[in-house]
Amino acid sequence: MASIIKVIGNVRRIISHNNGIIGSFLKMFRHDDLKWGTLVGEDKYGNKYYENNYYFFGKNRWVSYPQSSGFDFDASEIPPEWHRWMHYMTDDPPTKVPLPQRKWMADHTMNLTGTSREYVPYSTTRPKIQSWVPPKSSD
Amino acid sequence: MATLKIFCARSTLQRLTKQNLASISVLPQNRSHFKQVGQQPPSLEWKPIMDRAAGSVFWNELLKGLGICLGMILKEPANINYPFEKGPLSPRFRGEHALRRYPSGEERCIACKLCEAICPAQAITIEAETRADGSRRTTRYDIDMTKCIYCGFCQEACPVDAIVEGPNFEYSTETREELLYNKEKLLSNGDKWEPEIAANLQSDYLYR
Amino acid sequence: MLRLWPLRQVAKVQNVLGGLTQIATKSTQPAPAPELVEVFIDDKQVFVEPGTTVLQACAVAGVEIPRFCYHDRLSIAGNCRMCLVEVERSPKPVASCAMPVMKGMKVKTDSPMTRKAREGVMEFLLMNHPLDCPICDQGGECDLQDQSMAFGSDRSRFTDNAFTGKRAVEDKNIGPLIKTIMTRCIQCTRCIRFASEIAGVDDLGTSGRGTDMQVGTYVEKMFKSELSGNVIDLCPVGALTSKPYAFTARPWEIRKVESIDVMDAVGSNIVVGMRTNEVMRVLPRVNEDINEEWISDKTRFAYDGLKRQRLTTPFINVDGQLVPTDWETAFVKVAEKVKKVDPKLIAGVAGSTADAEAMVCLKDMINRLGGELLCTEDSFPLNRSGIDFRSNYIFNTTIGGIEQADVVLLIGTNPRLEAPLINARIRKTWIHSEVCVGVLGAPVDLSYEYQYLGDSFIVLKDLAAGTHPMCKALASANKPMIILGTDCLQGTENGVIYNAVKDIAERLRKNLKHKDWKIFNLLQKNASQVGALDLGYQPGVSGLKALQAELIFLLGADAGTVSKDKINPSSSVIYIGHHGDYGAQIADVVLPAAAYTEKDAIYVNTEGRVQLARQAVNPPGMARHDWKIIRALSEILGVALPYDKLADVRARLGEISPTFDQPGQVNESGFEAQAYQLQTEIKDPIVNVNTAISPTMLKLKDFYMTDPISRASLTMAKCIQACKESEKNPYSKQEAKA
Repeated sequence: MASIIKVIGNVRRIISHNNGIIGSFLKMFRHDDLKWGTLVGEDKYGNKYYENNYYFFGKNRWVSYPQSSGFDFDASEIPPEWHRWMHYMTDDPPTKVPLPQRKWMADHTMNLTGTSREYVPYSTTRPKIQSWVPPKSSD
Repeated sequence: MATLKIFCARSTLQRLTKQNLASISVLPQNRSHFKQVGQQPPSLEWKPIMDRAAGSVFWNELLKGLGICLGMILKEPANINYPFEKGPLSPRFRGEHALRRYPSGEERCIACKLCEAICPAQAITIEAETRADGSRRTTRYDIDMTKCIYCGFCQEACPVDAIVEGPNFEYSTETREELLYNKEKLLSNGDKWEPEIAANLQSDYLYR
Repeated sequence: MLRLWPLRQVAKVQNVLGGLTQIATKSTQPAPAPELVEVFIDDKQVFVEPGTTVLQACAVAGVEIPRFCYHDRLSIAGNCRMCLVEVERSPKPVASCAMPVMKGMKVKTDSPMTRKAREGVMEFLLMNHPLDCPICDQGGECDLQDQSMAFGSDRSRFTDNAFTGKRAVEDKNIGPLIKTIMTRCIQCTRCIRFASEIAGVDDLGTSGRGTDMQVGTYVEKMFKSELSGNVIDLCPVGALTSKPYAFTARPWEIRKVESIDVMDAVGSNIVVGMRTNEVMRVLPRVNEDINEEWISDKTRFAYDGLKRQRLTTPFINVDGQLVPTDWETAFVKVAEKVKKVDPKLIAGVAGSTADAEAMVCLKDMINRLGGELLCTEDSFPLNRSGIDFRSNYIFNTTIGGIEQADVVLLIGTNPRLEAPLINARIRKTWIHSEVCVGVLGAPVDLSYEYQYLGDSFIVLKDLAAGTHPMCKALASANKPMIILGTDCLQGTENGVIYNAVKDIAERLRKNLKHKDWKIFNLLQKNASQVGALDLGYQPGVSGLKALQAELIFLLGADAGTVSKDKINPSSSVIYIGHHGDYGAQIADVVLPAAAYTEKDAIYVNTEGRVQLARQAVNPPGMARHDWKIIRALSEILGVALPYDKLADVRARLGEISPTFDQPGQVNESGFEAQAYQLQTEIKDPIVNVNTAISPTMLKLKDFYMTDPISRASLTMAKCIQACKESEKNPYSKQEAKA
């Protein structure tokens, strides 16, 4: 009997965490999963990070990609500060222990392969051989 | 509804299956005899033959398997819901390469070429020359990521912690060409991932 | 060693210790056969000559003693202390490099005392040596690295990790070739000894004592020597490294190709270091007969010229402008030109770096077309026995033979710049023996003292007539040498000068005690010259004008001797070569060929020694090997040459002259008497030559750019710039005014 009450409680929390029944339905559609947890933080790209240690290790931290990504979300959207926390390398989220920032550090970009901004290799050296260019005849 | 945890149903079912298994698994032991460990030939007595026939007529095994499936549906799944959830990584994880900079913004690599020398896959190509200020710098630092075996020798060999294998592993590409990293790409990797790389190195410095 | 004043005292001591100099210097006087001394190295019995050092005795026994300051070809300094070994009944470990062996000496090279001594010395050295191996160019080929691994202690007692007290020395600027990082210096003084003994430039020295000791020039000035690059090889650590090579490669990634240098006619043996189809550096290769283990700066540093101004595509002249094209068009264009002219008016000119294979191909092709005239750029008197006898145009004494000479007469040559290694050999002889050197020509700085005879033809005439005071010295000499430069043979009066010199040589030869000693030497300047003459090329381009050649093939001829206006304004020029230099500019068709590091080729040095250069890198772009170009062209022209492989070409070379079949050897040339006889038969009257007999290269700055490769080199340009600036430096030793 007690376990049935627990189940009902879980269902209620999940629904309220995911903005009602319609919200839960949409969430299920996008995430294939419904969970409830506390919002640990949000990065500047709009990714929201949740944690609930009620779930087993490996499933107790999750990210919700911004709505702007639509269904085109990518795992590489997580910036390094949160990447560290997401991958359980640390228990301190960057909201609690911020990582040092330098002015030369670059903004995070997702994996751009297949887009027009993908990386194309090029040589960073000068050509080895300098060819002779015949002098222009004066006349 | 995969993760809807209905614990009571799961535990009850588990108890049932465990008891059944326990009763089956009790075997008489007689150590004075040899024991055949291979597959026993099916007994040809009338009673076991009838039992087996009844088992297949009533889909005994099929129903048993369906029972296990039902139990698993109601359990918390063992897999993680990537890309929303991610698995644990070590701070020493050897992922995508990056060239680091000093806090001042000066690139660390001094073109000593030890990484190139130690690379067992010969994935690294370095060319160097004197920079205008007289310091020793690379003009070419290429890593062929398709050759790389991610052994981490390069970061071990580096005397200035310039080349590191960062924590990123989500850099798969649609073309092979994109995996031929040059110096700019590696430096920009470093600029992007430096917060995490630095924190990982810091967390592990006692053991290096 | 007698003529090096700081070493005179040392030599005296060494003589007392048992004629050490005799071993170290290979003295010319045959010493009475000494009794061998028995010594025990690690209980192994060896017999060595008295005066041998302990270190050398250990080498005989097969034991390598670590050393930094000791070097075979330099005097013994004994200041690094790395070679300490235990000798029985000696209270202290002894420095084996400076200790002559004594009878029954028992040396222990691996005893606890020896090992402790080495570890201690190594600790002291490393204490003040920076730990910057990752950015040091010596890393990977560093004696200090190797020996600290092999002989150093395996743990550190160094506690000053904050680097509060490490020695730091200001870097010196000693020119555009040598980079100094003096903090790394371990004061072995090898560079100083090289400069004063081998190079003959007393520029380097030490100042201060103990920790404050510094190696340098005291005042800032350029290390002005044509052999300066060798201190880079000598330096056991990374204190002296190559500036052009700085940071570009590591020794372990460089592939070494043994080759031959073509910057001068000495044919120094070199090792070309290549990586990723690029020549990274050039190092000397030991060849006792030619360059010992030194090479000149031009040989060592001009390689960057191989990467600049290169011909990478064929060009054809369209309305006075050279435009790039492909091979087929270029070949067709050549064929059109050949069809148009009378075959007799086709001629070929071989340049200074042409290889024997290409020259024989060109000669065969032009001969098959019907042309007869093939010549080289360097002139040589033809109207006498000329090039009929090999002894007339080679360095007969051989370079190694210089060491036996007791009188050397230099005529119209400046060997220091024309052939630095021959000059180094003369200087070596001058230091180690009582050789007397006379110079007829410009009073240039040869790095050793000489008797200056003037530069007028009258002096030469006096010498030929036997009335000059120098003749006495020459006549009394056991092994006199005459070295004639080619610069004074370029004019129209060359035959007269040449005859006079031959007269001197012949008179000396008649009274010679050692009948097989060769007196007359011609010091060539071009690497191709002897090979070309062996193949039957005519020296000098004067024949082109006489012939009024219509079509001229230039095989890398870039010296500027061929000019259309002077020969025949309507003539066409086809240039086969590797650099866009003089020849390519006047050409109608340019065919890109390979430079000396890009082909397997045969070069004959001034001694007549045939040597094989090996291909290190591929020719750039569309450039191809010279002989293959000519072979392909001959097919187009309808006179296909009968060889398809390099081996076939070499077989053809062997047909022409058997010397080509004996690489590495000098074939002694005989028939001096006959050569002279032929000469006297067509003797023209000794007329007065009014111009001074003088070499063209007088100062160091003339040395650096002599051929298309060095002319394209930025490093060489920097050297010339530095030389010019050095002339303004009041502390720099000024070269003698010419």
